[in-house]
Amino acid sequence: MLNGKQGPLVGEKKSSRAITEEYAKADPVYVAKTAALPQKFSHYRPILGDGNCGWRAAGFSYFETLLRLQNRAQLEEELARMTSLNNLLTTVGGFEEWLFEDMVAETTNLLRDLADLVPSSPRAAEELLRQRFNNREISDSIVYHLRLLASSWLKGNRTSYQDFIPDGLGVDGYTKDWIEPVNQEIDHLGMTLLIDILLKPIGFAVEIVYLDRSEGSQANSHIFRQEDSNGAPINPGCPMIHLLYRPSHYDILYKEPAAIQVMDEVARNPHVNRAFTRQISVHETPAMMGGFPQQLDMATLLCIPGFGLSSPPQHQPFHTPQYSQQPIDHTYNSSPISASISPISPGGSSTTSSSALPGSFPAQPPSQPSLASPTLATPHSSFPAPTTQIPIHTNFPPHTRPALASNPSLSSHLSHPSELSSPSSATSSFRPSKYEWEAAADWQEPVVFQTSTFKNSHYNTAHYNNPNFQPEEWTPESEEPPAPRKRSS
Amino acid sequence: MNYDMEDTQNSAPGILPSNQAAKLGAPRKGNDAQSTTKRLQTELMQLMTSPAPGVSAFPNSDGGLLSWTATIEGPEDTPYSGLTFKLSFAFPSNYPYAAPTVLFKTPIYHPNVDFSGRICLDILKDKWTAAYNIQTVLLSLQSLLGEPNNASPLNGEAAELWDKNAEEFKKKVLGRHRVVDDE
Repeated sequence: MLNGKQGPLVGEKKSSRAITEEYAKADPVYVAKTAALPQKFSHYRPILGDGNCGWRAAGFSYFETLLRLQNRAQLEEELARMTSLNNLLTTVGGFEEWLFEDMVAETTNLLRDLADLVPSSPRAAEELLRQRFNNREISDSIVYHLRLLASSWLKGNRTSYQDFIPDGLGVDGYTKDWIEPVNQEIDHLGMTLLIDILLKPIGFAVEIVYLDRSEGSQANSHIFRQEDSNGAPINPGCPMIHLLYRPSHYDILYKEPAAIQVMDEVARNPHVNRAFTRQISVHETPAMMGGFPQQLDMATLLCIPGFGLSSPPQHQPFHTPQYSQQPIDHTYNSSPISASISPISPGGSSTTSSSALPGSFPAQPPSQPSLASPTLATPHSSFPAPTTQIPIHTNFPPHTRPALASNPSLSSHLSHPSELSSPSSATSSFRPSKYEWEAAADWQEPVVFQTSTFKNSHYNTAHYNNPNFQPEEWTPESEEPPAPRKRSS
Repeated sequence: MNYDMEDTQNSAPGILPSNQAAKLGAPRKGNDAQSTTKRLQTELMQLMTSPAPGVSAFPNSDGGLLSWTATIEGPEDTPYSGLTFKLSFAFPSNYPYAAPTVLFKTPIYHPNVDFSGRICLDILKDKWTAAYNIQTVLLSLQSLLGEPNNASPLNGEAAELWDKNAEEFKKKVLGRHRVVDDE
């Protein structure tokens, strides 16, 4: 089980598909919920289940979210706030300063070092954050500082929370039994306290996704954030931290296409970019449709090798390239499935339209506001030359294809047929009409993607084209008894 | 015993934290016990500058600060009144994020201490917090002498006698107590 007691304190970001696979043989409720999870959260970061996972996950996310904002001034403000909270620890918490000054020092040192690194090298800042959190001594100090903050916050706000204290322990009994013991895992009240003292005051929201055996096909979630008296969020666009809760364990979830250290992960799991590319297509396609440039774009599209129904096999239908530089999976190119894929999409059009010259076409990704970090260029530069890449995002539903192919209106727009270089384009070129494009842009159903991740899945029927494919067989003798889930302590 | 540190303690108690702070400002490497050592140095200073009545503790000469010897005086109005007990503290390298191992070196007859000197006290086990320290542990043990937890005894006979026969209990306490040599 991934939430066990081995491994680093704070793991590397992974595709959240790993969670789905982890539960593939579990209870049907878990299977359904974990299958739905990657649609909402692209990645997760495992946290060691050592009794501090909830504290560590929230603490790491606090620093990581500050880093994501790339705002040195805010890091410095946090440095000041954390230092001033020492007052709370002594006067309200009743802790002696000499006992906690070393712990606070690790928090403030990290904030200071991150503030110094953020302007010049955000990547180094991320690396430093992971290093510190994986150094047991430093990590535990920061975690314990968080415990002291939560404990003091409770002692200073007894009336707000005392009704939530379990077992009639009282505030002091509760902090002694649940907050302050070094390896006592965080409970719901503890998480609420931590969010209230650490994250809410700086406008960070926290979504906790509860993966448990309650009814439903999706995991329930709850969002903690600053709200006005009517329960409406004060700042709906605030930075959001996502935590995955499984009974007795917390990990971190991520929604965004991970920008920095996991580019290779993204390339291997392109489905994570789906939401983003769809957004682009919705915004850009209508603009593209009006006026003369559209015709040029059509011609440009058809210049691209393989841009047609009878596409050559080097065409990459199983990638959904957010970035055209994704590694090419040559083993998959020859799959007969590729011929049946309609190789055009709104996403593809937007990419093309953002490229000024056909010759330069896939060399640059479309400008990505959310990925505008200076590190973007680095992981890409070594990828193979993008000679055969076409951004394919969406399979049109089959019934639209004949309409597209037979739509005569578009052929009249192709004012430069001589520029068509694709051998296939003259006879079976794609004929989208603007209406079809808009329909595709508005397409709201879950779209079936043929991704490089999916290709390894046993759901992928393309395996049947592989002569060596051996479907998994059920043999009662070999089946292990279901192992009881490890619980973190 | 680290004499450098002792000198610092005696001559200028206020200087230590700033020295240490300067050291911490330097780039960190993964040297494990650095913060543990610093914490224990601070605790030693605290014990010397603001001692609590009836308890004391000092590092052993050979322990590299990770092993200490402590003493508790038996509280008044308890069977332990007038007796002194020595204890050993062994600190893990991740102290204070793990509890010290505390043993009675002086033989003691008590419901929550076994004949090897091992102690059953929740704050030394799962209720340990990093906000506890040597002095709070010693004070807790001192109060344990007068208020044993008879619900989970390590010495069943002592628990029974405590409830039923105070005189016999006191006799057993005195019979078991010996003065141990200093190490």
